[in-house]
Amino acid sequence: MIALIGLVAGVVLGLLFEPTVPLWLQPYLPIAIVAALDAMFGGVRARLEGIFDEKVFVVSFVSNTIIAALIVFLGDQLGVGSQLSTGVVVVLGIRIFSNAAAIRRKLFGA
Amino acid sequence: MSLLSDLFAGKVLDPGYAEAAARREAAGEREPRRGRFRHGGVLLVLIVVGLLIAVAVAEVRRSEPVAQQQRSRLIGEIRTRTAESDELQRRLDRLRADTERQRVAALARSEAGRRARADLTAAGAAAAAVPVEGTALVVTLADAEPQDGGRRRADAGRVYDQDLQVLVNALWAAGARAIGINGQRLTPTTAIRTAGEAILVDYRPLTGPYEVTALGDRDRIEGALRRSAAGRRLQALEDRFGVRYGTRRTDEARLPAAGALQLRHARPRGEGGRGEGARGEGPRGEGTRRP
Repeated sequence: MIALIGLVAGVVLGLLFEPTVPLWLQPYLPIAIVAALDAMFGGVRARLEGIFDEKVFVVSFVSNTIIAALIVFLGDQLGVGSQLSTGVVVVLGIRIFSNAAAIRRKLFGA
Repeated sequence: MSLLSDLFAGKVLDPGYAEAAARREAAGEREPRRGRFRHGGVLLVLIVVGLLIAVAVAEVRRSEPVAQQQRSRLIGEIRTRTAESDELQRRLDRLRADTERQRVAALARSEAGRRARADLTAAGAAAAAVPVEGTALVVTLADAEPQDGGRRRADAGRVYDQDLQVLVNALWAAGARAIGINGQRLTPTTAIRTAGEAILVDYRPLTGPYEVTALGDRDRIEGALRRSAAGRRLQALEDRFGVRYGTRRTDEARLPAAGALQLRHARPRGEGGRGEGARGEGPRGEGTRRP
């Protein structure tokens, strides 16, 4: 419940204030979102399995987004930014899907 | 490769939670620790996630109108420029008409002026500088129908630039006042030539059928054309190669002025003195008549 409230509050805040993203930060925004989604699904799955831990959740979110952004930043500096973004998205996408599959199994038993 | 093997083995890809749970189990705690803020961290993180998503959505929706705006701005600029050049063209036409009126008025004052004006009118008509209309003879030339393929050479029945050249010269000789091919006005120096498959008239490609409009006395032009070598040549082309050749008369023909006439032999009076204005090096060897 509290999680849903937080999410909605964040969306509302973002839509209300519409903060402008600086140009140098824009390439990292989508990657950061994918990483955040990964952390979120991991948290939901842990919650359903009864092993949720707030510290693990916060740390995994922060480290996920920062590392994903760093990888893309490094790739940009090396000239392989788009390829590394693809790699990050693929890896995180696989994790998101497996977590979503686990959640589905827990919720619907299928 | 451990990611893929873990994936296929169906293991948890992020073992952080399981490890934390195992640690708690070892320490003998039942409930997960609440942390300092009692879900405050979760709330904070989720607010940040929501913020990120909202910002990304807003960003995407903002950047799309930017591209759209640039596009419509460019389109608007094109329209503005087109309108500007149309306006300039209209102004040019107005000024030309104005100049013409003033010239007429100025030249009408003296006998020499009237003579000069008559010369000027004749020269303008001869140089295709003014639009003309009137009765005309229209000569049509078209490539032969490719009916009996194989017997004739593939391009034997085509109309060549030479055919048009001969025809146009014959029409000039027959007394045509003005000539146009497919509505394009010919000047005395207009080139008719072939480039690849197309015939260029004044460096603009034309496609067949070619309609050569000759303004003037139709009976005289038609008779002279029929008797001329060009007429016989075209008749022979029709008979032997199937090139379609025909003439018809029209009462109301209109030809525009030839585009972009260049003054080649006239100079402003102040620069070169009187004699400079009439250097006779034109294609017809005449030059301008007046200094």
